[in-house]
Amino acid sequence: MKSLLKKRLLPVVAIAATAGLVLSGCSAAGGGETKEIKIGVLATDKGNLAFGMDEAKAAIGVSMAAIGGTIDGGEIDGVPITIVYEGTDGTSASAQTAVKKLVENDGVDIVFGPVSGDEGETVVQYALTTPEVTYVNGSASPVGMTLAGADNFFRFHGDSAMWMGGLGDYAYNEKGYKKVYAIAEDYSFPYDNAGGFFSEFCAAGGDVTGNAWVPVGTTDYSSIIAQIPADTDAVYVGLGGADAASFLSQAVTAGVQKPLIGGTIAVDTTALSGDANIAEVAVGTIAGGPVPGPDYDSPEWQTFVAEYVKQPKAFPSPSIFSILYYNSFNSLLLALQEVKGQLGSPDQKDLRAALTALEWTSPTGPISLDGNRQAIVDNFLIEVVQGADGTLTTKQISQTSGVAQGTKTYDRFEGCPE
Amino acid sequence: MSTQTPSSSTGSRWKSWITAQNIVVVVVLLLALVFPLVVDRPRFWLPNIGVRTLWMGTIAMSLVFLNRYVGLLSLAQMTFAGICSYGVGYFSVTMGWPIIPSIILSLGVGSLAGYVTALIAVRTKAIYFMMITLALSQVFYSWASQAIEVTNARRGIAPIPRPDLGFVNLNDITTFYYFALFLAVLSYAIFRYTAKSQFGLAIQGIKDSPERMSALGYNVNRYRTAALTLAAFVASIGGVILVFDRNQVDPSFVSLDATLNILVVAVVGGIGSLGGVFIGGFVFAMLQNFAQDFTDRYMTLTGLVFIGVLLFFPAGLVGLGPIIRRLFSKRAKTSASTGSSETPIAARRAGKNNKKGQHK
Repeated sequence: MKSLLKKRLLPVVAIAATAGLVLSGCSAAGGGETKEIKIGVLATDKGNLAFGMDEAKAAIGVSMAAIGGTIDGGEIDGVPITIVYEGTDGTSASAQTAVKKLVENDGVDIVFGPVSGDEGETVVQYALTTPEVTYVNGSASPVGMTLAGADNFFRFHGDSAMWMGGLGDYAYNEKGYKKVYAIAEDYSFPYDNAGGFFSEFCAAGGDVTGNAWVPVGTTDYSSIIAQIPADTDAVYVGLGGADAASFLSQAVTAGVQKPLIGGTIAVDTTALSGDANIAEVAVGTIAGGPVPGPDYDSPEWQTFVAEYVKQPKAFPSPSIFSILYYNSFNSLLLALQEVKGQLGSPDQKDLRAALTALEWTSPTGPISLDGNRQAIVDNFLIEVVQGADGTLTTKQISQTSGVAQGTKTYDRFEGCPE
Repeated sequence: MSTQTPSSSTGSRWKSWITAQNIVVVVVLLLALVFPLVVDRPRFWLPNIGVRTLWMGTIAMSLVFLNRYVGLLSLAQMTFAGICSYGVGYFSVTMGWPIIPSIILSLGVGSLAGYVTALIAVRTKAIYFMMITLALSQVFYSWASQAIEVTNARRGIAPIPRPDLGFVNLNDITTFYYFALFLAVLSYAIFRYTAKSQFGLAIQGIKDSPERMSALGYNVNRYRTAALTLAAFVASIGGVILVFDRNQVDPSFVSLDATLNILVVAVVGGIGSLGGVFIGGFVFAMLQNFAQDFTDRYMTLTGLVFIGVLLFFPAGLVGLGPIIRRLFSKRAKTSASTGSSETPIAARRAGKNNKKGQHK
């Protein structure tokens, strides 16, 4: 027994020692006080939004270059700025881990991000528990985020309902669609996105002939297409990415004759570049969102695009994520410049006052904040057109100025949103 | 080592408790107890590493229990935990019921889910059992993603604040950590006790030879069903820790990723060891938090660690102990041949390493 005990004691001691070393070694990696400003960036670097991190870095790169800095940091009025990045996979779980690590372990003063709506709602809840840290949203767009009452949370772009701003009126009054059938993915982003469109469309006098909420990743739309009532004037397509591409190609096969109305991510380049044969259903699709059409030419936009394409790993033209990340990060930098790098105390009150009062002309138009620290922005309506060479592209129909947030969040709805 | 002999001698009762296993348990428990005192940033370390290790470990432990004592590899343990988390959210937030009845009811719902799963899956074994539990967990995931009236679909139920239970205020993170530790230890004790009980011996017998046990008059499926329900109950305890750690519940709790994470935790810790899962959980939580400080390809790093563990410590990280012991032992060769708990591969490797050492 004794020798057995002796023999077995060794591994125990070894494990205990290792565990002890691991603990002490890692805890030393913690904080340390400095007089610098530390910004923690949340962005997606795996999962289906894995390009989010590259787009965030491109946007931050453009913004920091203007003050002589890099994506890793710079200086404002002698106060050094350090930027640290934390990757997520777009889920609430990973965002929660990452934001806790940024705030509690890395000791950041400001959290910038996240990308997806699921993450955004989690980060806002966390922001409520850490009033000493300031949060500037990246591209997460659920309506409820700025209605949750977090005084330390700022969003410098529209929510997904605002992205439909003007489209409901346009569809009813200009296009003359009276009855619309809705197909949309079954999660929070399309709820708000479709809610924004249909609340305006229904208020204008329009009617909904049916709603089909499909799971993300649906590839077979034949049964849904078959359900579209004959007296429908147009079909609302609240799908994104591969789902939108699948729907468009099947709409061609099934001979859908109805004109389409796109959600914000339905007629992006992924869907349009996939298959040239979708032209007969895609052309004439109208959509709304924060991204202007290719023919948009404000000087701020031109400057931004020129700088953006110089960034490593940048797309040929900025995506919705880089535009939103740029507008948001640059708002933060402008406010930091306003307070000369002094955040103020308690609770960074000077920075927050500067953020609240900030007004500037972004590449996509003027940005200012409302009482809920939610941006009032310009919104763009676009229409899919066929170029001379047969390729599909978009043209801008209109730019709606001063779109402000509504007061309600949307859930899955039947008919018109309540 | 699928069976354990109950301690027979009454005189040396105290001595019989001094086993390597119990010493490891005590040391790990002591480390867990002082954990909040030795870390420099408790508000990071307690939730992100400590509590996460505890709920991942508890859920993975229920998987290990089924694998080791019943011989069934269930991929639905994370789902049972998630169902319990959903229960807590639904009863306490959506329905507005008091928290303690909500928790108790949710534990019941999680266990019931295990029972129902068992009724369906228990007649199968090996890969078929795994596939059925995986399929059922995916069915629940799809349902949770869409059942807006109950689960609030993708958005999930939030916020679910940590409650003040009256006798203990979970709002304080240190208190919550110790509460989670208590639940994890309780779960471990339940499994240790069960394994040594008559019931435990019967299910181990069923694992080794269902036909023989059936011939002896045991109702094999009924025993398996009971074991699965018990494992689902413990997974549900993990679900209670989980939901108050995350302060919300959404379908990502029960996604395939979450299920596989639990499997990885179990395998890294040691699929044959009840307590080892907490080491696996700790390693996994550390990787989740710190791997990206070293490389952008942190998922790859996590994968490499997993492969490394499988290659070099097939019995998991708890298999490390015997290997180290052999490295130091002069009688390596003989002890390798009479070897105890780890697989022959690990034993051979340990023997080989030792030989190299002697040449030097």
